[in-house]
Amino acid sequence: MANPYPAPHGTIHVEDTEVLAHEEWPGDQLVLRLYAPETAAAARPGQFAHLACDPLLPMRRPLSIQRVGPEAGWAEFLYKRLGFGTRLLARRQVGETISVMGPIGHPFEVDPEVRYPVLVGGGVGIPPVVFLAEVLKDRPGVEPVAFLGSEVPFPFATQPAGFPVSGVPETATHADARLEDWGVPSRLASGAGLAGAYRGHVPDLAAAYLEPLAPTERRRAALYAVGPEPMLEAVARLGQRLGVPVWLSLEEYMACAVGGCMGCTVRVEEPTGPAMRRVCVDGPVFPGEQVYPGT
Amino acid sequence: MTEGPSSTASANPASEVDVGLEFAGLWLSSPIVLLSGCVGFGEEYTRVAGFSNAEVGGICLKGTTLEPRLGNEPHRVYEAPAGMLNAIGLQNPGARAVVEQILPALDTTETHFFANISGSTLEEYIDVARIFDDSPVAGVEINISCPNVKAGGASFGNYPDMSAKVVEEVRRVTDKPLITKLSPNQTDIAENARRCIDAGTDALAVINTITGMAVDLESRSPVLGNASGGLSGPAIKPIALLKVAEVHQVAHRHGVPILGQGGIASAQDALEFLVAGATTVGVGTALFYEPLLCPAINEGIRDYLARHGLGSIPEVVGTLDWEQ
Ligand SMILES: Cc1cc2nc3c(=O)[nH]c(=O)nc-3n(C[C@H](O)[C@H](O)[C@H](O)COP(=O)(O)O)c2cc1C
Ligand code: FES
Repeated sequence: MANPYPAPHGTIHVEDTEVLAHEEWPGDQLVLRLYAPETAAAARPGQFAHLACDPLLPMRRPLSIQRVGPEAGWAEFLYKRLGFGTRLLARRQVGETISVMGPIGHPFEVDPEVRYPVLVGGGVGIPPVVFLAEVLKDRPGVEPVAFLGSEVPFPFATQPAGFPVSGVPETATHADARLEDWGVPSRLASGAGLAGAYRGHVPDLAAAYLEPLAPTERRRAALYAVGPEPMLEAVARLGQRLGVPVWLSLEEYMACAVGGCMGCTVRVEEPTGPAMRRVCVDGPVFPGEQVYPGT
Repeated sequence: MTEGPSSTASANPASEVDVGLEFAGLWLSSPIVLLSGCVGFGEEYTRVAGFSNAEVGGICLKGTTLEPRLGNEPHRVYEAPAGMLNAIGLQNPGARAVVEQILPALDTTETHFFANISGSTLEEYIDVARIFDDSPVAGVEINISCPNVKAGGASFGNYPDMSAKVVEEVRRVTDKPLITKLSPNQTDIAENARRCIDAGTDALAVINTITGMAVDLESRSPVLGNASGGLSGPAIKPIALLKVAEVHQVAHRHGVPILGQGGIASAQDALEFLVAGATTVGVGTALFYEPLLCPAINEGIRDYLARHGLGSIPEVVGTLDWEQ
């Protein structure tokens, strides 16, 4: 029988990176850009890196990768200043060195059958969705659409949406400016009444888009979601209701981030029964029905 | 050995110092042993570019029980001052799956792999030891000190009578080198060590994690799914050093070596453990922060030995100037 813990050799790089930019956005949100050429060269949407935020901290912190510039060698992250680790990270300045392990984890795999990928990102779950949109923009015959939700001001520039998205409420007028540049339609949602955003939950936008699709089109759709647990569950239920496959990226506290400590596991329901799987290397992306089994 | 570590006798070139040594009847290419529960089943860290199992003298595999175990609910790890708490709950696929599916994939020419065995009953320890006896592992580490499972584990380790009983019974079913892993969560670790030596252990691992907990103030509940967990990392180093020195007082009289561990994160830490009486040094939690740490530890030990005119590791082991 096969080794139940296969470990592909040499895929995670440890590099001392330089802070190229560290931008603060309202709502305690920061965008960090590092010169991390090895991580940048190999990273794919859904993967994360493990950062030594400050030499004083005993543990690294996992952060999802938001964008990479493989030629220029940079990798970009978005995070919220929440706990001790991210507070210390927020103090690191341009020119300083941060040790990075990356890229780590199973990325989002968009099946060649999928023509309508629906990307759903909430809060600090936005980065992998941005990364996925950037990669999908160049894929022929694929028409991605992204829905982004936030309870604090969006950590990116927004502008009036230039691309139509059928079905979504008219109050969702604005889009992520980067995605507009890439030709990827997007819409925003917020319970906080942010300008240009639909007032409500981001999965509502995904539902509004998917429900009117003809069955033949829906069969070629799939949901890819990253964000807080209630959002993930709503997306998983939506997929179950409409018969659309769902992929969720999960978070958990991590120690090693290479599969060694079993510290980051989540309970999943596999065809063979319940299992505890490591978010770092078995995930972070899991099939929705394994995380929220159908009732 | 009378020369203390401050001796500055004629220096050797560091490149000539061999950090290899004998431990529990095995030849180890380095005194570093990667610790159980920190490196999965031996392959996980090879995901890291530049990492090689050949840099270390041995690797203790994740704690293994007779039947598969799912382990504890999340959260399982949490940061603590200068360390971390863990409560994994011995997630493992069961001893037979380890032997049949995992061990065949390991490159045993690179280093020695040790099984780390656990159980809820004496019989379970015996059954697991039997399964590993008929396997390519170089030795068996008996974990009588796991703080994170309800039945067994620590309840064997905290009572010398029960510790000795486990060692005695496991000794009966295997001729492989036995390392007994002692708990710091007990009154007299040296007395427990003495009993385990009498029961036939070939080596002692000192120390396992120290029990602790973390509280979530918003929910007023424990952070860890298991409520309590084991503290590891630099926070426990001073405790571990003392326990190693105490156990050494007993163990060296019987020629039984110690695998010292608890917060080792540098060559200096490793050397302090060697001086305190450890023959080999365990690295666990430190790898999480710095996966490519081991070559630097080997190098630092070589430098130190060379600077002090010492030709090999055993010359520094237990050289602590301490009259008890
Ligand atoms: C996440 C984690 C899991 C562990 N699992 C085991 C285990 O299965 N069996 C065991 O004997 N010790 C286990 N330990 C204890 C370590 O092997 C080691 O004794 C302890 O962490 C002290 O060393 P360190 O400070 O270098 O990590 C575990 C430790 C950690 C941090
Ligand atoms: S963080 Fe160690 S296994 Fe995932």
